[in-house]
Amino acid sequence: MQYSQKVLDHFMKPHNIGTMENPSVTATEGSPACGDQVTFYLKINDDSHVIEDISFQSYGCASNIATASIVTDLVKGKTIEEAKDISWKDATNELDGLPPVKMHCSVLAVDTLRLAIKKYELEKGLKEPEPFSKEAIIEELRSIIYPQAGEDIVTLKMVKYVRLDDDGTVVIDLDIPRFDQNRESVVEEVKEHLEKYPEVKDIQVTLA
Amino acid sequence: MERVYLDNCITSKPDPEVIAAMMPYFTEKYYFPANFVSTGSSIQADLDDFKHIIADSMGAKVSEIHFTSGGTSANNIGIKGYLMANSNKGTHIICSVIDYPDILTNAAFFENSGFDVTYLNADYDGFVDLDELKAAIRPDTIMMMTTFANHVMGTIQPIKEMRKILDDSGHNIALFVDAAHAYGRIDIDVNEYGIDLMSVSAHKIHGPQGVGALYVKNGIQLVATKHGINRLDSLDTGGISIAAIAGFAKAVQLQFSDLQVHIAKIVALRERLYEGIKKNIPHILLNGPDGNKRIAHNLNVSFDYIEGEAILMMLDVNNITVATGSACASQGLKPNYILMATGRNFVQSHGSIKFTLSRFTTEEEIDYVIEKLTVIVKELRSRSPLFNKNK
Repeated sequence: MQYSQKVLDHFMKPHNIGTMENPSVTATEGSPACGDQVTFYLKINDDSHVIEDISFQSYGCASNIATASIVTDLVKGKTIEEAKDISWKDATNELDGLPPVKMHCSVLAVDTLRLAIKKYELEKGLKEPEPFSKEAIIEELRSIIYPQAGEDIVTLKMVKYVRLDDDGTVVIDLDIPRFDQNRESVVEEVKEHLEKYPEVKDIQVTLA
Repeated sequence: MERVYLDNCITSKPDPEVIAAMMPYFTEKYYFPANFVSTGSSIQADLDDFKHIIADSMGAKVSEIHFTSGGTSANNIGIKGYLMANSNKGTHIICSVIDYPDILTNAAFFENSGFDVTYLNADYDGFVDLDELKAAIRPDTIMMMTTFANHVMGTIQPIKEMRKILDDSGHNIALFVDAAHAYGRIDIDVNEYGIDLMSVSAHKIHGPQGVGALYVKNGIQLVATKHGINRLDSLDTGGISIAAIAGFAKAVQLQFSDLQVHIAKIVALRERLYEGIKKNIPHILLNGPDGNKRIAHNLNVSFDYIEGEAILMMLDVNNITVATGSACASQGLKPNYILMATGRNFVQSHGSIKFTLSRFTTEEEIDYVIEKLTVIVKELRSRSPLFNKNK
């Protein structure tokens, strides 16, 4: 398992690295506990909604830095609508691929970008806050990559059941192979991803 | 600069003399030992010589040495063989949360098979808690397992004190020691330390991969756990590479000739590296003890605000090989269990770099590593939101 030359190039000489004076919006995702965190700074034209400038900072591994770098290249000069369409697979392909265990880096970079755009849209009144729903939970679970496969747990059909109760309790049934070394860390990640929503009061995860 | 290899705790470069000592056993003396026939008996004579070399290196008798196909084989044969042979005397065993995976996975296996296991804690510098050991001993305790020198933090366990505690308990408790990282780096006399079973490995001391040895004190009962034809050894049945054993013996001769000189040289280089890092790089943390309670070749340092896989990759691009305890460099995406169990936080574990030196390491290499590391840490910190927040 090796990094592509493109990943190494972006890692050694990242594009658009650093902070930004007076950004339109900033967003941070990930956590030092997981070993990866990305912050994006965006300058967006309020009339055309074109992302005129973007920069990032990263605490993380080589692929974390490389994926954030490629995402800045992909979005610069695009409108926020166009930028929203960029997927983690686009970012991965642009880097000539990533090892399966590193796919989550690409997801983190794209998620951070989408969070920044969402924050901007909410601030500028371009968008109403979405009501919290079961669909939003499933969407969030799509950000969790199963390391062995390099795919998210929803696509892999590991999420068997999702329920959101009126009192803010989230009930999730997961189907992860027994004796899998990632079983517990996937459960932890599910909790971490949902805890950030103020609407979520309790999370009950059952392993099938 | 050619590749600077500072990951000798994983495996080390075979000495050219080791390779030369192995060659005849590939080309001309490719026989297994046997009686009466000249081909086989000449091999038997050579094997006896090799066994003497290994036995002498640890103060053991020749009859107490078993060749195995590696350190992990030695661990399995020793641990499983002893516990299965002695389970009628008790089914409680003791080890610690920071032991080598071979010990921990064997402990878990016996736990699943009905044994009780006490996992002792270790302090911030990686020393196993001896008060906990005293408290853990029970009438049905039959073995304690420990790792002589910790493979992550370099901590040398107080084996003699452990032995004394086991003896003072009045129970008959065997002491199993995984010495793969200590052998050839400190003077080990199995009788002086009171060790009953001990595993060592050739490729950690510039010997070939795929061969090790198990010391079994005379009188210690083991059952065979690897069944098959007895070619070289009744415990590790089947063929073991005789070329590898020849290389192992040569590696031991080379490593143990002037052992104290080798150790002093490696310690001086390690201190040069640590002093250089301390002088050039702020916000660092030494993992494991300082000074002579640490195994000679190990230096483990955490660099705050940045992540170890990125440091490792940048060093790699600069032709330097090291290791890290970061989750991002592991298949299971978990930070190193030893660093976490001894009180480091996530960022300190993710930011840890382990340098393990060898007798081939030079001052020029160490200075080159310090120079590159200084630039790399500065560069990665300039990219890190954690560092900028704390500035």
